[in-house]
Amino acid sequence: MNYYYLGIVILLAIGTILALYRLLRGPTAADRMVALDAITNVTAGMIIFIALLSGRFIYVDVTLVFAILSFVGLIIVARYLEGGI
Amino acid sequence: MMIFTVISWILAVLVIAPAIYAVESKDLLSAAIAAGFADLAAAILFLVLQAPDVAITQAAIGAGITLAVFVYAIRRTERWEK
Repeated sequence: MNYYYLGIVILLAIGTILALYRLLRGPTAADRMVALDAITNVTAGMIIFIALLSGRFIYVDVTLVFAILSFVGLIIVARYLEGGI
Repeated sequence: MMIFTVISWILAVLVIAPAIYAVESKDLLSAAIAAGFADLAAAILFLVLQAPDVAITQAAIGAGITLAVFVYAIRRTERWEK
């Protein structure tokens, strides 16, 4: 079962690297912000599988902070690109 | 422990690449977003190194507050580096 969780973590890391390519090569800042939001969601899932892999379920609490604060950053950058703030 | 060594190497690559981009970029908003991602990957690296409280603080300060402060600073000054 350990290798099952490890395979999922490695697949999610590959997804993170693919979104990192879009973050580094994206033409506009909106592409990069969407890539950052996708990376945050994928890594929230990755943290849950790291918690299952290590057996420490206090790690799951970190995903709450990730999800809430990535939303705040996304909203602020979107308001800037719109010209709001 | 071999498993967490592999995950740590992957996360080290994920910290280094956007940090280099954030230094070299001329678009300061993109540099701020890349720095936010570097902070996020550093938070996961702290988590893998068995420090979840440091990871929570790093995610709150780095990915949330720092990006907001950078965007407000870019709004007050200018976006493109000369």
